[in-house]
Amino acid sequence: MTRTDVDTPTPSPAPRERRRFGSSGLGLGFVIKLVLVALVDALGVYGLLAAYAVGHWGIITTLAIGLVVVNWVYFSRKAIPAKYLVPGLAFLLVYQLFVMLYTGYVSFTNYGDGHNSTKSDAISAILLQNDRRVEGSPTLPMAVVQKGDELGFAVIEEDGQVWVGTADQPLEAAPDAVVQDGRITEVPGWDVLSYAQVIERQADVLELRVPVSDDPNQGAVRTQNGTSAFASRSIYTYDADADTMTNTDTGAVYRPNDQGVFVSDDGAQLTPGWRVAVGFDNYVAMVTGSDLSAYFFQVLAWTFAFAILSVGTTFALGLFLAVVFNDERIKGRRAYRSLLILPYAFPGFLAALVWRGMLNQKFGFINEALLGGANIPWLSDPWLAKLSVIGVNLWLGFPYMFLVATGALQGLPGDVMESARMDGASPARIFRSITLPLVLVATAPLLIASFAFNFNNFALIYMLTGGGPNFPDATVPIGATDILITMVYATAFEGGARDYGLASAMAIVIFIFVGVISWAGFRRTRSLEEI
Amino acid sequence: MRRIPRGLAVAAGVGLLLTACSGGTSEEPSASDTTTTDESSSPALEGTLTIWADETRVDDVKTIAEAYTEQSGVQVDVIQKASTDIGNDFITSVPTGEGPDIIVSAHDGLGGWVTNGVVGTVDLGDKAGEFSDAAVKAMTYDGQVYGVPYAIENIALIRNNAIIQDTPDTWDAMVTAAQATGAKYPIVIQQDPTNGDPYHLYPLQTSFGAPVFATENGSYTNELAMGGPEGTAFAEFLAAQGAAGILDTNISADVAKEAFLNGEAAYIITGPWYVSDFTAANMDISVLPIPSAGGQPAQPFVGVQGFFPSINTENPLLVNDFLVNFIATPEVQTQFYELQGRVPAMTAAAEGLSDPILLGFNEAGASGAPMPAIPEMSAVWEWWGAAEADIISGKAPADERWATMITNIQSAIGG
Amino acid sequence: MASDVATVRGQQTTLEHKPPRSRWWREVGWRHVIGVVAIAYCLLPLLYILSASLNPGGSLTGSNQLFKTIDFTNYSDLGSTDFSTWAVNSLIVASVTAVGTVLMCASAAYAFSRFRFTGRRATLTGLLLVQMFPQTLAFVAIFLLLLSIGDVFPVLGLNSRLALIAVYLGAALGTNAFLMYGFFNTIPRELDEAAKIDGATHAQIFVTIILRLVAPILAVVGLLSFIATYGEFVIARVVLQTPENFTLAVGLYNWAADERNAPWGLFAAGAVIASVPIIVLFQFLQRYIVGGLTSGSVKG
Repeated sequence: MTRTDVDTPTPSPAPRERRRFGSSGLGLGFVIKLVLVALVDALGVYGLLAAYAVGHWGIITTLAIGLVVVNWVYFSRKAIPAKYLVPGLAFLLVYQLFVMLYTGYVSFTNYGDGHNSTKSDAISAILLQNDRRVEGSPTLPMAVVQKGDELGFAVIEEDGQVWVGTADQPLEAAPDAVVQDGRITEVPGWDVLSYAQVIERQADVLELRVPVSDDPNQGAVRTQNGTSAFASRSIYTYDADADTMTNTDTGAVYRPNDQGVFVSDDGAQLTPGWRVAVGFDNYVAMVTGSDLSAYFFQVLAWTFAFAILSVGTTFALGLFLAVVFNDERIKGRRAYRSLLILPYAFPGFLAALVWRGMLNQKFGFINEALLGGANIPWLSDPWLAKLSVIGVNLWLGFPYMFLVATGALQGLPGDVMESARMDGASPARIFRSITLPLVLVATAPLLIASFAFNFNNFALIYMLTGGGPNFPDATVPIGATDILITMVYATAFEGGARDYGLASAMAIVIFIFVGVISWAGFRRTRSLEEI
Repeated sequence: MRRIPRGLAVAAGVGLLLTACSGGTSEEPSASDTTTTDESSSPALEGTLTIWADETRVDDVKTIAEAYTEQSGVQVDVIQKASTDIGNDFITSVPTGEGPDIIVSAHDGLGGWVTNGVVGTVDLGDKAGEFSDAAVKAMTYDGQVYGVPYAIENIALIRNNAIIQDTPDTWDAMVTAAQATGAKYPIVIQQDPTNGDPYHLYPLQTSFGAPVFATENGSYTNELAMGGPEGTAFAEFLAAQGAAGILDTNISADVAKEAFLNGEAAYIITGPWYVSDFTAANMDISVLPIPSAGGQPAQPFVGVQGFFPSINTENPLLVNDFLVNFIATPEVQTQFYELQGRVPAMTAAAEGLSDPILLGFNEAGASGAPMPAIPEMSAVWEWWGAAEADIISGKAPADERWATMITNIQSAIGG
Repeated sequence: MASDVATVRGQQTTLEHKPPRSRWWREVGWRHVIGVVAIAYCLLPLLYILSASLNPGGSLTGSNQLFKTIDFTNYSDLGSTDFSTWAVNSLIVASVTAVGTVLMCASAAYAFSRFRFTGRRATLTGLLLVQMFPQTLAFVAIFLLLLSIGDVFPVLGLNSRLALIAVYLGAALGTNAFLMYGFFNTIPRELDEAAKIDGATHAQIFVTIILRLVAPILAVVGLLSFIATYGEFVIARVVLQTPENFTLAVGLYNWAADERNAPWGLFAAGAVIASVPIIVLFQFLQRYIVGGLTSGSVKG
């Protein structure tokens, strides 16, 4: 992005003439630039400090590189195109590219239901979930005590005797403790914490387990409110050195495996597991795993059909209406245009919901009011459902194309049209030979964008048909109107366990797929325009 | 030799060996005495709690939370989440520390939360006995209690008294009598053209003896139980009712409600959530148990609503205080009932019920089956509903379609 | 107003040439017929929503008698919800995003259209490809990204409208830069050349010449971006977490997501009001969109 060719205005040392434009050396523009870059720098430096404070090295690196690039670009006399590209590209890199890369990373992990967090989270969840009140254990009044930094519990036994202990020190009698009105007020050698102090250290207090005795089977004293205690016992114990979970009832030992879960020698697993990298497992599962592959090509074919037909129909109708209303003699042109834009003014998912109701076979407005009580299964017949999806998308999408085409028509060179008309060319011929090619040049990239949008048009399918009607024999919840992205959603999120790893892998595959195809299409459109 | 604390040790022995005599436990002081004194003398708490609730509960939870703030000085932020997202957002957010301290929800997501290790535990202690058995059981997963219940909800048969006054014993008798009145629909049960609605059909299914999962010691196993001749019989019943036009997949929730509101339907099977609309329209209705279609008792799913703590909270003490010392009190439970119109989970509060509509729902739910909370359940819904829709609309032969569904679910849950 | 001028001009033509009725039909009249049909197609579902919004117990199926009741309860009930907050949020988010998108895309399109530099084709192709990425499946990544950013810049973290705007701006170049680029290419380069000879810098050419000539496409892109942002809810509901920060789309989605007691009447009323800003904006921008270039210097 550094080399500029002859097109760019090379700053000439001695401009010959300055009729309309003054020097830009230190003018208003420069001041604005200076202020803006200074602002960015200030924010960047603040960010660097803040990121350093929380130890976010990824953000520090990104920010540092970003700041260098911004300052270089805007204070260099070269790199003129970069001055125009940097703001947009910065947002793009952070919010799009990073998201893509991160999705790529997730696709190589088993992130999903049952593997939701880190290993240490999983260990504490397993210990907590299996930490049960020892059956029949009484609730005893207690106080939280402290010696130096170490927390401990002081418990009043039923006989009035006070016992004190810490995580490492099982309960011991403290005969000199003072109890007033059922509350422990003083324990020699310990500071009794006030309630406010307990709240300050509440996480530690609730995590603390004070063994009842040296025998671990008798459980440990814990509290849930800082004022009363009971004995509880976790069925599992974690040995940090050996990295194993042991079931204290059966003695079974569970070891972590490479799938991010503790598993015993006989194959029993403990939930939850944790996130680990699983290599290409998700990609392999896509091909071999379920019966997904059996329906993949069917869904793929429909996805293409849907995307192409959506672009085709909306563009055709939009351009047609734009041409029709591109005549100054039409009275009320403005009103027509305003009304035609209305479907676009409604949030798309809402429109899909409304259409869903209107297309109800028996009670829908279309069948009952418009077609006089017809019984057409608009959404439950596989082919009609496809037709309905295209029809609703046409309604949703043509105003967009109408707008774009209207704008494009304004940009057509009037003189060319005029001379063609003078030469006696018919309107149809003018349209075919001049209007359409020129409009296509302006909108071709847009049509590809629209293709991409519809290829991934999740909201419409999800809200209108939910992918249904389902293939009755399919062993995966996939239906006749499912496109790739709703299929991924259904299999990765709705078929029971949510599997972000698998979903990400599928997203990457879809991306590569549609990317290659669009890229090929894009190269072909080069015949229509010069890049 | 070290002495060990007597009460704790004896109690531990009871729990561990299950053979010790009960001498140790009998002399324990009543724990609630000490708890009460502690409560009254404990200084004001401070801090902030964040609670997630979905759109159906958020306003009532806010009202309750304000009362708690007044009483304890703890600031409570109640945040509304969409009911479709709340459970999954909880799973995603809790490990990042962005999750709430407490989530208010029906119990059916509990299995997923436990499997993902995002929900914390609650020790109800002696208070467990103050709740109805079903409610505590619903808050329990794999032997551990994870929440404090506040209400129970289930569907029932609702009768438009202006059309008919029968209290039917069987489905067929009900349909015959209702048809005789000349009402446009004898009964409406909401469905969806592609996704059916297994929840609203479940009482009919159980009346054929085909529960969704087998049970063991009162809790669900992941063994599918709706196959076999009982399941097929139910499928055949659906096909017959569909062919006769009694069940219709085009009757969406909206249509069903409108039809009943307009006096076009003699009966509707629905839950308390629509009843306020019916009573607001000054309809004369009665709430009755759902009649049996297959000879056995019709058991609707019973959903238990509760407050569940997050495993990852900065204020575990406050959370516990809120759950155990506030939500689990008869006053708050009664207040919830007054706000929400659902049967309270606490026996003391439920005993005070006098509203015939709630009593009706309570009676209809007495025989109900708790909604399965095991994670496998989420895999079941979609197959189940689609199959029922196909059978009702006559798109596929009942027995075959039902068998396909069973195969599909089994492969989906790997069971 | 441009179209008023157009109408006047049209009338003058009629007066001068007095075309016969048949010719009027052939050249103009049929366009009205098509217009009426197209508008019927457009409006039918909208009338349905309007009707539902005027029915206090309104639903989205089953109420097929349009305008059976006319009752503004739903509209007055909106006052007791967070609706107005959401509307303000939506307007802020959509406006800022639209302005940012227009500025960034216009600059980028200018660079692509007027300069030849290394990596230009690759960047263009890259932009095209980036938009193919299925964002719907990437919400986990967006969530975690904002979580990290929020540690450093809290205003750009989760549950921030500014963060949502930033995410939208990240996607801005993908689609709209191309649309602009196409239009920039239709502006003759001779204009730049002439200005360059007059001593203009690249910035002056961009601001004083090009931007004025491409005003219609700026308006179109601004409008498209505004509308797309305004109705977006998949990303917005991941980013925005508390009702006071919701946009209209997220708020309405939450109403519709209620499986049992979805307030359809309220929802419909909200949707009707929500569409007003778009309609107003379109009215305001229409003159730029359809009238902008006709009297511009390109023609001369």
